[in-house]
Formats: sequence, structure tokens, C-alpha cells
Amino acid sequence: MQRRPVCAIEDLPPGSMKLVAAGKFGVGVYNIDGALYAIANYCAHEGAPLCAGYVGGTNEFAPEEPGGLRHVREGRIARCPWHQWEFDITTGVNVADPNKRVRTYEVDVADGQVYLIA
Amino acid sequence: MNTPIIDANVQPHFRYNSEIRRYLSATHKLRSIPDVEQQWYQAPGGDYREDLYGDGYPGSDPQTVARHLFTDGEVDYAVLNPLTRGNIADYLLNSRICAAVNDWLLDRWLEPDTTDRFLGTIRVNPEDVRGAVAEIERLAGHPKMVQVGVPMQSREPYGKPMFEPIWEAAAAHGLPVAVHINGGNGVDHAPTFAGHAYTYPGYAAFMPLNSFVHLATLIIDGMFGRHPGLRFVFADGGYDILTPLMWRLDTFWMSMRDQTPWVDRYPSEYLPDHVRYCTSALDGPTDESQAERWLDFTDKADLLMYGSSYPHWSTSSPDDAVAGLGSTQREKVLWRNACDLYGIAAGVEGSLS
Repeated sequence: MQRRPVCAIEDLPPGSMKLVAAGKFGVGVYNIDGALYAIANYCAHEGAPLCAGYVGGTNEFAPEEPGGLRHVREGRIARCPWHQWEFDITTGVNVADPNKRVRTYEVDVADGQVYLIA
Repeated sequence: MNTPIIDANVQPHFRYNSEIRRYLSATHKLRSIPDVEQQWYQAPGGDYREDLYGDGYPGSDPQTVARHLFTDGEVDYAVLNPLTRGNIADYLLNSRICAAVNDWLLDRWLEPDTTDRFLGTIRVNPEDVRGAVAEIERLAGHPKMVQVGVPMQSREPYGKPMFEPIWEAAAAHGLPVAVHINGGNGVDHAPTFAGHAYTYPGYAAFMPLNSFVHLATLIIDGMFGRHPGLRFVFADGGYDILTPLMWRLDTFWMSMRDQTPWVDRYPSEYLPDHVRYCTSALDGPTDESQAERWLDFTDKADLLMYGSSYPHWSTSSPDDAVAGLGSTQREKVLWRNACDLYGIAAGVEGSLS
């Protein structure tokens, strides 16, 4: 575990991600609405590069809505490119089965520089 | 065998096909009505046990059936699930046929039975949703009617919302819904996804597996989630493919949960509260030494109830149904699961153990 420089904060605007070469598989550092999060680039299912997947929201059940769905957690959900497993980037927890998760890491900012502890 | 036994799948018959007309009102008495046996895919030698053909249809005399099951056999209680005529084109006529079958079951089987060992099924026609609900409301209060019955050969999967009022009514009365192969009168879909089988074995091997389409939609479309008291019984078996198909469904749910977020747990987690199967002679490993381990996959020991299918040609005895199983598994399959489902535990334990 070490403190690694990632990039200047200007280069990681909200809605973007930087993949850092840390560990065997890399770690994705995400800016979600101004807050920084980091998850392992390794899906808990079969080890796919999770951070290569789309980032978006997820659907929850809303019986009163057309189609019975409401889109929530926009920008916080990483979808695995292999089998579409959904993980909440802010917690690492799988949306369908909370017993499954990916590893999360600490991120901090000092003097305009983003650092990852991984 | 020193354990109580509940036979959850016995199929009583009219003595002859036209006997049903005695139970139809004048408005429908002279309508043309198909015979009870399906017109294609009859088993070689007949659908029913050869030794039971004689004066009247196999399984048509309550005293004879009681003797075979209760006296010669070792059964303590039998759930009667009669055929109607499956799907027929005239859905309103079909509902009258269902009502006639129910009235006949009460008149000939349930009410004359002073031993209280026969329990019954309220047959309804799912293609007539209002009629089906009305029939459940008419008979649900009868103490010997323990479930609602529908044909496996639905023309839409039973998870679709069009059927919801029927399942809601059944659940409101605490009655499980038994799905039983019953059709062949011309307006059914083909029995396999690829059309019609050529032969009886081709048909019979596949047909019970269609229950999985109903099961999958009941889970995925949210029917079980919306109705915690709704329980389905698949009376013709098909449980030997339950495990791999639930694996598939669980796998897909992990990937596609966002399309059906009302499914708030693994699909397989709905089984204990909502699904039962009756045993069938065609299910299970051919090697008896694998039966005990096999039954533990998907916790089938909690899902399975002994059903003889009497008087079908494939009628299986209690011994055959639990061959190779462990002692706890045998108890569950032979009576405990059915006791819990039909709420007859007190009666069985009080009178037998």
C-alpha cells in the first residue's frame, strides 16, 4: 500500500475516471459530482476489467411510475463490460447482491494533486 | 412404511365421458364437449393403468380408488385433482365445464366420503378470468377443497398480469394453485418450443418441463413478489431440470436485475415460499445411489410432495417415489411438505403418529 500521485484535479473533472497502474489489475479513480472514489479494476464475478464498463445509474422498483421503474444513483454505478454486474462506485457493493463487492481505496487531494492509497 | 403418507396427486375420473352432462345446467347440457382424454399423444396401451379399465373409466369409482390407495396402498390422505377438458375454444362453456367437474367432485367424491381422506381441487378456467375468480369464491369455503387447479397448457405464461386476479383470489383464500397437464383438444399450443413431437415418448419426456416457463415468469414478472401468500404446485414433476434452470435464472438476474428490479432477491430464493412439485415416475436420477445427493440440490426435499398420478400408467408407489432418499428427505416428501402446504398437519399427526 502506498500513496500514489494520480493527476492534477483539473484533469479529473466530475464524470471522469483515471485508471492507475496499481497492483495486478489497476485501480479506477472516479470523480462523481466533485467527490473522489476508487475501485479495483477487477470484477468480483470473473475478473473482468470493471473500470472499462459504462458508468451510469441503476433502476429501482417504482410501481407508480410508467414501466414500474425509477432511474437512481446516476453517475455512481459501474457496469461490468463482461456480464453487466452493477457495482456502486461509492461503496464497492454489488447492486443485486450486497454480499458481493469490489475493493475500494482511499483517495485524497493535496495542493491540487489527486493521490490514491493503493 | 411406518410414516404417514399424503398422495398429493390423484386424478379421479367420470365413469364415462357423458356423465358430466348430469352436472351441467339446461343451458349447456346439449353443447358439444370434448372427451376427457387428449386426442393426440395417447400412451401406447392407453393413458391409464391397464388393470384399471373395466366397468367405467379408470379411477372413476370412489370405493375402488379408496381401496387401492388407502387399503391396499399405504396412503392416508389423497388430494384429488380431476381433469376438465383443458383448453377449448369456447371459454364461457369451459368455465361451465369446470363448475360441473367441481360439482361432480363434491357430489360423488368429497361429500359422501365420511372418512375425510379425500381432499379436492377447485378447477377453474384461466382463459375466463372473471369466471375463474367467481368459481374460487363459490367454493373456496368448502373445507375439503384445498387447492385451485389450472391446466399446464395455458396459452400465455402464468406470470402475465392478465391472470393476476385469479392468483390473488386463490392466495386470499390460502389455496395453492396446482398446474396439471390437461389438454389436447385442439386449441393448445404445440407441446414443445419446436412444435409437435412425433411420438409419445418425445411428447411425454418434454411436456412436464413446460412448467418452467410458468415458474420463470411468475418469479421474473413479480407475481410472487406482489403476492407473498401465492403458492404454485406443479403436479406432473419436471423438477429434475429445476436446478440447472434456476442456476440460469439466478445468473441472468445478476446481469439484468435493472430490467426487473421488483425481483429483489435471487430468483431461486422464491422457491421455498412459493413453489412445490409432485413426484413423478419420470423425474430423478436413474441411478438410485445418486438420489439423496441429487435431491439436496436447490433444496428439493423441501419442495417435493409425493404424488402417485393414480390412475395414470406411470402411477408410482410411495416406496418408488422415495427410493434412495435419506430418512428426513423421505418424511418431507411423503407427508410433511403436503401437510404444511394444505394445512392438514394436525389431522395427520393426531390420527397417525
